[in-house]
Amino acid sequence: MARTASRNIGQSIPRLEAREKVTGRAEYVHHLRLPGMLYGKIFRSTVPHARIKSVDVSAAQALEGVYRVVTIDDIREAIPHPYYGPAFHDQPILADGKVRFAGEPVAVVLAADPHIAQEAVGLISAEYEELPAVFDEVEAMSSDVLVHDVLKPAATFPDLKHLAGRTGTNVALDYHLLRGDPEAGFAAADHVFEHTYRSQQVMHIPMEPFVSVADAADGRLTLHTASQSPSFVRIEIARLLGWPENRVRVKVPYLGGGFGGKLYIKLEALVTALSLVARRPVKVALTMEEQFFMVTRHPCTFTIKSGVNKDGTIVARTCKVVWNGGAYADIGPRVTQKAGFTSAGPYDIENVEIHSYAVYTNRPPCGALRGFGAPQTAWAYECHMDEIAEALGMDKVAFRRKNLLQNGRPQATGTIVQDAALEQALDQVADRLNWNEPLDRGDGRIRRGRGIAVGFKGITAPTTSVAIVNLYADGSCGLYISTVEMGQGSDTVMAQIAAEVLDMDAAAIKVVHPDTDVTPYDMGTLGSRSTFHMGTAVRLAAEDARKKIAELARELGLPEGSNLPLPELFRRKYGMQAGNIIGTASFIPKYEKPDAETGHSRNATPFWGVGASGAEVEVDTETGHYRITKLVNVADVGTALNPKLVQVQLSGAGIMQLGFTTTEEMVYRDGQLTNGSLADYKIPTLLDIPPEFINEHVDSEQKDGPFGGKGAGESTTIALSPAIGNALFDAVGVRLTDLPLTPEKIFRALCEANGTPLAGE
Amino acid sequence: MTGFEIVEPESLEEAFRLLDPEDPAVRPIGGGTALMLMMKAQIYKPERLVSLRRLDGRFSGIDIAADGSGFRIGAMTTFSMLEHSPAIRRHLPVIAQTMKTLANVRVRNVASVGGNLAHADPHLDLPPVWVALGARAVVVGPRGERTIPVEAIFEGYYETSLANDELIAELEVPVRAGWDALYVKVTTRAAHDWPALGLAVSAELEGRRIRDLRLVLSAAVDKPTRLAAAEAVLRGAEIGPATLRAAGEAAVAETEIESDSRGSAAYKQHLLRVHLGRAIEALAAKRV
Amino acid sequence: MSSPRTIRFTLNGEPVSATIMPHETLVDVLQHRFDLRGARESCGQGLCGCCTVHVDGKPVSGCLFLAVFADGARVDTVEGLARGDALDPVQEAFIEAGAFQCGFCTPGFVMMVKQLLKEHPEPTDEEVRHYLTGNLCRCSAYPEILDAVKLASARQAEAARRA
Ligand SMILES: Cc1cc2nc3c(=O)[nH]c(=O)nc-3n(C[C@H](O)[C@H](O)[C@H](O)COP(=O)(O)OP(=O)(O)OC[C@H]3O[C@@H](n4cnc5c(N)ncnc54)[C@H](O)[C@@H]3O)c2cc1C
Ligand code: FES
Ligand code: FES
Repeated sequence: MARTASRNIGQSIPRLEAREKVTGRAEYVHHLRLPGMLYGKIFRSTVPHARIKSVDVSAAQALEGVYRVVTIDDIREAIPHPYYGPAFHDQPILADGKVRFAGEPVAVVLAADPHIAQEAVGLISAEYEELPAVFDEVEAMSSDVLVHDVLKPAATFPDLKHLAGRTGTNVALDYHLLRGDPEAGFAAADHVFEHTYRSQQVMHIPMEPFVSVADAADGRLTLHTASQSPSFVRIEIARLLGWPENRVRVKVPYLGGGFGGKLYIKLEALVTALSLVARRPVKVALTMEEQFFMVTRHPCTFTIKSGVNKDGTIVARTCKVVWNGGAYADIGPRVTQKAGFTSAGPYDIENVEIHSYAVYTNRPPCGALRGFGAPQTAWAYECHMDEIAEALGMDKVAFRRKNLLQNGRPQATGTIVQDAALEQALDQVADRLNWNEPLDRGDGRIRRGRGIAVGFKGITAPTTSVAIVNLYADGSCGLYISTVEMGQGSDTVMAQIAAEVLDMDAAAIKVVHPDTDVTPYDMGTLGSRSTFHMGTAVRLAAEDARKKIAELARELGLPEGSNLPLPELFRRKYGMQAGNIIGTASFIPKYEKPDAETGHSRNATPFWGVGASGAEVEVDTETGHYRITKLVNVADVGTALNPKLVQVQLSGAGIMQLGFTTTEEMVYRDGQLTNGSLADYKIPTLLDIPPEFINEHVDSEQKDGPFGGKGAGESTTIALSPAIGNALFDAVGVRLTDLPLTPEKIFRALCEANGTPLAGE
Repeated sequence: MTGFEIVEPESLEEAFRLLDPEDPAVRPIGGGTALMLMMKAQIYKPERLVSLRRLDGRFSGIDIAADGSGFRIGAMTTFSMLEHSPAIRRHLPVIAQTMKTLANVRVRNVASVGGNLAHADPHLDLPPVWVALGARAVVVGPRGERTIPVEAIFEGYYETSLANDELIAELEVPVRAGWDALYVKVTTRAAHDWPALGLAVSAELEGRRIRDLRLVLSAAVDKPTRLAAAEAVLRGAEIGPATLRAAGEAAVAETEIESDSRGSAAYKQHLLRVHLGRAIEALAAKRV
Repeated sequence: MSSPRTIRFTLNGEPVSATIMPHETLVDVLQHRFDLRGARESCGQGLCGCCTVHVDGKPVSGCLFLAVFADGARVDTVEGLARGDALDPVQEAFIEAGAFQCGFCTPGFVMMVKQLLKEHPEPTDEEVRHYLTGNLCRCSAYPEILDAVKLASARQAEAARRA
């Protein structure tokens, strides 16, 4: 893009907080200790679904050094209706008469020494009357086992209102879209294909485990919390307490990783209640093992059916997507809608029908995780695309290109696609894979193959960001935003945007971290929205500040364009170094709520996230072990405001998705998680980085984004899994439908294909 | 993890006084890496930990016999000392090879040879290697001293033949001229992981003929296990596809492999067949 | 039985002492007695390296290291690397290569790389990958961490040539 050179936009400015991070001085809630603070350690249920008959805390209470043991009855003293959640008010602060997953918090021990609190947890016992449980999402759709007796949607989402009071179902939300006449489409099509694909349950694993500290005193509350959404926490806690928002203060320093896990409300309700009960500051810091019980990513079963003509045109598609939401809805209903509406893939299809269901089960809750459902849906639709191309004998890239949505065409909702560089991304991946050159496919026991995939996602809407630019009397600048710096580089990029407008150096701007007493509202640091939403708010706030500088100059009688330095303006106005100029702005993009029946909307998303991936693999056919020898990710991020930061987002998201594709899976036996620690739940290490690993963005622009930019943190998660699955098929001719892609699954499939199936699992 | 004491005796006599033949809440501690995991998980709640770090003499050091026939390795020798010992690298290269993928640098800097053996977790990488090398452990206790083959330490899943107040003091490892060894760590869940199966092979080869060998399987079974039947197939045999296949079948037949999180029994049996053959081929390839 | 005990050790070059309980780990003591934040517990199981400190010149997991055993030892932490305002070359290389995102794992990686470069001044890719497999970065700044190691190694070699 021909832009005039800027000292900020498009520059790889090093992170503003780099020194703090390499010296170990950066501030995380992890380290926070307050005078008089107690540590809370959690006693958790050992059964997946049960009525609680009794909880015996006497031995724990008697242990020397224990301050108090707290159960739901004590919580009620502080919070009479202790149920929380962003979409449904279905989650009790501590188990309330029932437990709904193994690992659910039942009681908390408070002590000044966390080791003693932990010791005391071991002395608590509970008696349960076990209930039948349901774990599989498809089974839960029609099961007699009900996880909740009645649905309790939150008032915050008007579109969920109709669900209030619904009983006799595990389906928390159903989303539907209908475009054209799919049945007629199938009837007319030359071929019809139907396949089912499954994604497994995985977890975010931020290296800084979940942690919150509450300090309640004198009718006020301060929360220090590792949260991606401080504004939401304030609103939800104020609601729980029945207090005005201004008595709840939420502060967030740096986050040691979030990835969607630390969104909405997590430990905050618990620490608040504990601090109110104990009248002391209370910290709850989960261990790595406990993180698996906080929030996870939805397992998903997706049945996809396509009608295709001989020439490769897809004429009809139906999608049935079932999301396993676990025991509490968290933000699952939103995942169901947002990933639902793009689940037919980035293709131009006349007739589309989508049904997407959020389902309760007796598993740990599932919520947002990098991609917000898009990776699970793309796993299905992009494997499906390859299976169709294979059956039709078409080139996989050509088949996709033939059906790809072009800018200016309506997506399934009817929203006209704009600024989505789908074809460019696909082509760039094909180019980096030398798609048109033959591949050395190997012989004997080592076989090679390659695969490609492309996908897209919509962005959560409508959401608001507010920014304040504060110019001090010496002309220096503070930027007050509630965007959370969790490693994505938002401090730096937001400073770059403000600096560009104010004509200064980004590094000279101080970004004030979220503190709801100080920084204004932001919906949350999530779903690739910050650069676009907060970036725009920051740009507008900086422009507002400039306008006010001009007004001040005018007020002082200075001629237009006199360009007197700001400190001089302040001195003239106030007679000394004093005063502020405050620029402020809020931003909410245009949005039209989808029609409840047809799912149609003329404006379903503020922008499109686009990612394409390609992989080359090498399979040992004797064992099923494989190596990914080359991995390519290409994303559309609009203008890369900070190319280096974009680059590391793309590769970081890609590697995370690589883990979700190859090794990561929460494994259960009788509803009990059996691998809830990093010893057994394997996330990528340096040894897993493919020898050739390419991450790029296409040359593009998001016209309504700040300086042409848009989000980059999720795009490379979307198409990576199917690229690898497709490459494996290409190498050895077997199709795996269920993630993760393990050597044993491949070997089993190979045995099956050879007519010598391996004995049972 | 509270409510225990740590004592650091400076002599064996003192150590034996502090250990307790009956009380499982009293245990020796070497590098502490295994104990700490169990204590943090509250699987093990000690009352007294008897540190061996101040015990001098035979508990430390790596010495090679004057005639080069073997090593004496003190039980408190850390993995990284072994890994970086020039003498070990030269005479027992399989140890350095095993270290490369064993745990990580930080664990290797503290984990001890003795603690590793006494822990008796069947997934540990080093025990099968010691067994394949024919190593012997010197065990000391208030009732005297005995020297036993390393395989005699293990009685089952996390079970040893050591009395509660006995200590592993040192290892004796022979260096056998003409023998070569190899350890194969087969992981199935991730590149860097605990093994689904560990296979240690030491053999004396003459071209492609196997004069003698020791084959040891770990991880997929409840303790490091000599594969006697497979050894019998291979001993004296010429290396070839049919022999290797027969040895693989014998190995599968003589072991009881069960399904776990690292793979189904059938899959792990298959991996055993494949990797046994590959290990022997690799040894032969090294020799020529 | 369990009673406090005073340990003495050298912390980043300074002789120090602390009265601690036997169950306290080295990370506990560094954080709570010395207000050092660089070594931090994440996995708590020796697997991630966020708690890396050097004891007698060797990196260990502070989360698995009982502080009692630091008695008489030399303990070095990330806080001891910078000289005044001047960062250590490894820290500088991490910044230049952009080898971190959230930064939670970073001090641990820096401490590991310090030792890596002592043992392998010009490491191969393979050596780096194996040496650092026990350090986890969920933000997955791994490619940039590889770059940082190379950069620091080159700088170190350059400095050695000049000296
Ligand atoms: C993160 C991590 C990853 C790991 N990965 C691997 C891996 O990939 N492969 C692998 O093989 N291992 C691995 N391990 C395990 C590691 O090898 C063991 O923890 C270690 O060898 C135990 O040695 P230690 O000296 O620390 O034992 P300790 O914890 O000190 O002791 C272990 C047991 O032995 C007893 N004991 C100690 N010394 C003696 C003695 N001299 N005589 C009698 N009894 C004694 C103790 O009482 C205790 O019961 C890993 C460990 C960790 C923490
Ligand atoms: S916290 Fe110590 S290694 Fe992970
Ligand atoms: S930078 Fe976040 S974990 Fe490494």
